[in-house]
Amino acid sequence: MEVINCDDNVYSIEVENVYKHYRIYKDKGSQLKEKLLFWSRNKYTENAVLKGISLKVKKGEAVGFVGHNGCGKSTLLKLLSRISYPDKGIITTRGRISGLIELGAGFHPDMTGRENIYTNASIYGLCKKEIDKRLDKIIEFSGLGEFIDAPVRTYSSGMYMRLGFSVAINVDADILLIDEILAVGDSEFQAKCLNELKEVKSRGTTIVIVSHSLNQIEEICEKSYWIQNGEICMEGDPREVHRAYLEATVH
Amino acid sequence: MQKETDSRSKTVSVRKTGQKESFLQTVKEIYSYRQMIVAFVRRELRGRYKGSFLGFLWTFLNPLLQLCVYSIVFSTILQSGIEKYYLFLFVALIPWIFFSSSVLGGAASIISQKDMVKKIYFPREVLPISTVTTNFVNMLLCFIVVFAVVLLSGIRLNFPALLCLIPVWAVEYLLALGMAFLTSAVTVYFRDMEHILGIVMMAWQYLTPVLYSYDIIPQQYKVIFDLNPMTPIITAYRDILYESKIPDFKSLLSATVMGLIVLLIGWIAFSKLKRRFAEEL
Repeated sequence: MEVINCDDNVYSIEVENVYKHYRIYKDKGSQLKEKLLFWSRNKYTENAVLKGISLKVKKGEAVGFVGHNGCGKSTLLKLLSRISYPDKGIITTRGRISGLIELGAGFHPDMTGRENIYTNASIYGLCKKEIDKRLDKIIEFSGLGEFIDAPVRTYSSGMYMRLGFSVAINVDADILLIDEILAVGDSEFQAKCLNELKEVKSRGTTIVIVSHSLNQIEEICEKSYWIQNGEICMEGDPREVHRAYLEATVH
Repeated sequence: MQKETDSRSKTVSVRKTGQKESFLQTVKEIYSYRQMIVAFVRRELRGRYKGSFLGFLWTFLNPLLQLCVYSIVFSTILQSGIEKYYLFLFVALIPWIFFSSSVLGGAASIISQKDMVKKIYFPREVLPISTVTTNFVNMLLCFIVVFAVVLLSGIRLNFPALLCLIPVWAVEYLLALGMAFLTSAVTVYFRDMEHILGIVMMAWQYLTPVLYSYDIIPQQYKVIFDLNPMTPIITAYRDILYESKIPDFKSLLSATVMGLIVLLIGWIAFSKLKRRFAEEL
């Protein structure tokens, strides 16, 4: 790790020639017995998911990834968040990364909303002081009011997601990764989320969105990548890329 | 690793994936996620008995009731000839339970948080560390009961010997942590590990002088017990709390060395295996 001055490094994310394979087991034995008895069965074929992706995202820029199911866009997001690692190539990220991927991770149903904020925010790597500082904002944004001191098991699924979203967005990450998440809560809360994303972006947060909702990408992002078969097929202005993508899909 | 990026300080951490992280980087990162460990330990300790009528009181009731059972069984049916056998057993059993539940709980720690591991980044080491720490805090709470029982049974505690508890706790924690790193990572790839460990831990208990004293072990088998790092640890607890004497430092030193070796092996195995956790789960 090297500490550098932010202003000298305009790129938040640099992906250089990244390859990723997944192992597809023909007949996977995860039990010891099977591993010992059937060595041959543990043969797997390597399925190339990403084939040499390179891209750069500037600080404060928002980009979207579009493509068919299985094209590798979610895998790319996983690599960016360091949940899994590339087989080849280097990914450089600058700053704290947060993801709107699994909302409400680590919630304990018997604990109150307030207690769960601490657990959930700590999973994003915040220390107690940092959470204390954000607590009021998180509660206010969630709009849960007095329910914040009720056990989470009494929440409706919408309330649960709202609390989860509220924590995730208030982590104040430098890079925000979003995978098909803007379907949270009612339409009013969705609009609030979208506004908040724009606001977060205007404060200089880099945003990466994977979505099938092309409209949402067009509304937030300056740039869109169309990924097909693990390669970048087209990149540029979201409207143009999406037009080409839709045309290709129809034909 | 992940520094707060205030408007004042414009330094941010740069991270490259695809390259090996160093030992120091990993340690620093775990430290920056310390609140997660605290939150998980608290959630686990409080959540364990939540909803039950007696709640947190069960933490103390559990060992106390176990003690009742043992003292009845061993004073009426299985008379061992050891003076105050219930105490002899109790001061060894509580630390043993910590060790065994750390290894078994450690093994399950990653697969039980599968959804989180697959979707969110955090240093994976946090999970086994939290499990072991939860069990450790639980043992420390049980020690309140242990001290009470020791005092009530008329044993005069030796203060310098009591101070020796601190290094003994530390050594046992390190050993349990090393085992938990190893078992948690391996269990992701071999699910059988959890079941194998159930038997292994039972056998291990009998290969450790928990139920009997080290002295009655036949000479030719003593070498096995001496290679077991839990032998000096359990013996030390008994020396301090049952015999009220200072434990043997030479054997404790060998336990420390063995504990550190286990921790090193566990750490290396974990670092190698963690890279593909999200894909294997």
